[in-house]
Amino acid sequence: MKLRILIADDHEVVRRGLCALLQAHEGWEICAEAKDGREAVEKAVQLKPDVVILDVGMPNLNGLAATRQLTQRDPHCKVIVLTITDSDQVIREALDAGARGFVLKSDAARDLVSAVEALQRNRMFFTPRVNDMVLAGFLDKGHNGSSTEPPRLPKLTTREREVIQLLAEGKSSKEVACVLNLSTKTAETHRSNIMRKLGFHSIRDLVVYAVKNNIIQVQMPSQLQNPTQGSAA
Amino acid sequence: MRVRILVVDDHPVVRHGLRTLLGGHPEWEIVDEAADVAEAVDKATTLKPDVVVLDITMPKMSGLEACRLIRKTAPASEILIVTQHDSPHMMREALEAGARGYVVKSNAARDLLAAVEAVSRHMPFMALNERPGDSV
Repeated sequence: MKLRILIADDHEVVRRGLCALLQAHEGWEICAEAKDGREAVEKAVQLKPDVVILDVGMPNLNGLAATRQLTQRDPHCKVIVLTITDSDQVIREALDAGARGFVLKSDAARDLVSAVEALQRNRMFFTPRVNDMVLAGFLDKGHNGSSTEPPRLPKLTTREREVIQLLAEGKSSKEVACVLNLSTKTAETHRSNIMRKLGFHSIRDLVVYAVKNNIIQVQMPSQLQNPTQGSAA
Repeated sequence: MRVRILVVDDHPVVRHGLRTLLGGHPEWEIVDEAADVAEAVDKATTLKPDVVVLDITMPKMSGLEACRLIRKTAPASEILIVTQHDSPHMMREALEAGARGYVVKSNAARDLLAAVEAVSRHMPFMALNERPGDSV
């Protein structure tokens, strides 16, 4: 029986590349593609793929939030997160969300097949930097009885995370309500709760928070002047 | 019409994707790929492709610089920018650098074939997402 893989990335050209890469492997098939996290969750719930590959920076629902939703529904769900950066923040969020694989987009052609193979054998696959970070955290806990993790972010519900992303993408409460199939009043309540929990007074604060915490990703002009940061593909 | 194409992007997965999209056309040939500006300029100079499909954000040097260099070393090659920058400002910079076409990566599946078709005939092809109030 073939290994069934779901691929989610907002860029079709990237999805085409990932499909070409993975379909060349005997015994694997792409059972579905999705262009954002919301579509990925819907298709994964419906089709129950063996492996889900999620880009982090997707509109409507980012890959980390989608991972969280999938693993909450099914703790055995095998998710590989694809990302342009292996910053501490993204690594921590991905592990916390329940991802079993973590692959840098720039290394995907080299690492993605290995990552899927690892998950196929019920193992995990991480970049060397993630492995180092996990090991450092483990050793630190062993020596000190506590980790060196930075203070936790305010506790937000899955729904509130979704609302933050949509608001930070510029959607109004009415539009948020429409996307999430809620009443406008409920969307506004979520918005008020988020602002209160985070201590914010403006959407601008929320956008900054969303960017800093990788809930949304924006193209910074500085990436052109300093292109060594790599592209978002 | 036979068209020889050089694909330039620092991400192998994107190059795979571009190859897949372009490979569907029976008369087009991907003559080679390049992962950075130096390799792109080198291969464009040697291979003299009809079209260079060129990313902007690449390591070490911007694709715009590659565009300027390729215009000098392979003036017959037309350059089609395929980038994540959905920006009139960036499009203007690309035109000033000598590009003939500009496609936003998120729309590549929709626009790429028409863009290559156009620039291979030395016609301009420019496409951003619609944005009220913007002008190029």
